[in-house]
Amino acid sequence: MSYDAAFARLPVNACFDLKGAESALVEWIGAEMLPGFPADANRCRKANGVSLDHVGPRHWLLQADIDREDELNGALRPHEAPAEVSIVRISDTMATFRITGTDAAHMLAIGCPLDLHEAAFPEDAVSFTEFFGQKALVRRCVGGFEVSVEQSFGDMTEDYLTRALR
Amino acid sequence: MMLIPCPFCGNRSESEFAYGGPVKPDRPDSHVTDDEGWVAFLTTVPNPVGPVHEHWWHVKGCGAWLTIWRDTRTHDIVEGPPDAG
Repeated sequence: MSYDAAFARLPVNACFDLKGAESALVEWIGAEMLPGFPADANRCRKANGVSLDHVGPRHWLLQADIDREDELNGALRPHEAPAEVSIVRISDTMATFRITGTDAAHMLAIGCPLDLHEAAFPEDAVSFTEFFGQKALVRRCVGGFEVSVEQSFGDMTEDYLTRALR
Repeated sequence: MMLIPCPFCGNRSESEFAYGGPVKPDRPDSHVTDDEGWVAFLTTVPNPVGPVHEHWWHVKGCGAWLTIWRDTRTHDIVEGPPDAG
């Protein structure tokens, strides 16, 4: 069986791992740099080309185009952050794939146990889960899904996706 | 497949979790307990036929630790974390 889907490996994003209380993060970073905190778990908020993903208890990922990495690094000041918060630049730790097409959800379901129906996983949903046995970050995008795995599993995941499309 | 209730994510597949061992009883008072009590605390792993209290780690998800009561006969989760979604 073949799927009506396609995938592409995306260029690296600027990505920062934020941990701590919302109030402490806002106090350190400043509210104007953040698109606002998502109200619910496993949801994202986007504004001005920046996405803030609520991926765990007191845990967020701040993402933007790689062109903005220096700007964000200057605003977040990871190495000077107070003890109440943790800010780590992780841009080069993830390999991201965009899976699109009519059967994108079916293709994702080969390796991902998440309920991907729109009712359970709406447009602003983002969550860590597993994909082909590896920890992965899954989000919706136009026409499909984006899946990020650890960089070292990027080639393996690309190989799995290629075989799944045959 | 077991669905485990995560307090942050809601019900998720057991494949996203790592087993963290049984919830052990409180450490006994060393001035009060006898040798038999110490041996029981240190070496006896709860293994009932029926509900058992266990730790699980949502290692491939949000990273939260949680405890559940799982029935060893049916794998039914008879009681999840109080704040599970």
